[in-house]
Amino acid sequence: MDFDQSPDRIVGTARVGSGGLPKKAPVPVKIIVAGGFGVGKTTTVGAISEISPLTTEAEMTSASVGIDDPGPASMKTTTTIAMDFGVLTIDQTLKLYIFGTPGQSRFAFMWDDLIKGALGALVVVDTARIDDCYPAVDYFERAGLPFVVGVNTFNGQMNYNLEEVRWALAIRDDVPVLSFDARFKASVRDALLVVLDQALDKAIRAKST
Amino acid sequence: MTYPDPDDPAHPARPSVRPFLQFGPQSAGGYRPTPPGDTPPADEQATTLRPFVITSGRTDGADPEIGMETQVTINPAATPVRLSPEMRAIVALCGEPLSVAEISARLRLHLGVTRILVGDLRAAGQLDVHVLDNETPDPETIMRVIRGLRSIT
Repeated sequence: MDFDQSPDRIVGTARVGSGGLPKKAPVPVKIIVAGGFGVGKTTTVGAISEISPLTTEAEMTSASVGIDDPGPASMKTTTTIAMDFGVLTIDQTLKLYIFGTPGQSRFAFMWDDLIKGALGALVVVDTARIDDCYPAVDYFERAGLPFVVGVNTFNGQMNYNLEEVRWALAIRDDVPVLSFDARFKASVRDALLVVLDQALDKAIRAKST
Repeated sequence: MTYPDPDDPAHPARPSVRPFLQFGPQSAGGYRPTPPGDTPPADEQATTLRPFVITSGRTDGADPEIGMETQVTINPAATPVRLSPEMRAIVALCGEPLSVAEISARLRLHLGVTRILVGDLRAAGQLDVHVLDNETPDPETIMRVIRGLRSIT
């Protein structure tokens, strides 16, 4: 639709001009922030977002853990969950959305809707409860979405070093493991830049093949 | 019903709504699945209707093209028609380009419901839904995001 052709709006007897250049819809891109409950996803989203994080309710189909590779007649249930997200305007034509997805450690996620078109994911980890992030890591590995493991250092505290976290998660060597502080914008920005770096690698590889 | 995330900071009070218009335990009528006082009023949905009432009974069938981040604007060539309050509210928000997720959050409408209603409004010619041509992000776009992110402090 060409907005340039749009005439002034008529409201009652008033003619409301379109006010300079008409707005074109920006291209949206998104990054997922995942992890268990209370690891600092909302803090991460809030630190980088230009608006205070918004919440939406969504449905998520989950399959119980322990039933490996559920068949078509598997025990799938639908849960309603709250999802936080933030926005970062890159420029007039490009907007970055950051979606924080809840981690319910006892469920493996079916995030197909969510990750469609996503650039990549940041998996937030609390070293006190490393296993909370397993479902997210499992899911992104299987889905082939570029992801980065970010250990949230609450007040600089880490119970394990990054190598130990990598070992515990048994992730491939090319998946970056980093530490960051979810409370600070610059720290979150740097973590997201590593995610984007992974996304760029994948996009270039996809283009060359 | 909402399921608050424990790391979600307390919801700020909704601004600029006259107290008696605010939905809360005191308001009369409407179906209430939980006893009053169970959840704070700020976390309640703005509507007492069950989601499937708003969507005329449909619980799925949302256009898979319409994602959470998909941008929506009003169709300037739309002819005025009678719309449900929820649909009117969506159209009223979309003077500026807005994502489906933002519409859902601002109107406190369930995301699935929002997607269905946006799809209906698109079919009715009221909204322009800006579906991307290629879903997989291209390197140039990612580079622009990287440059933009680097420049923030």
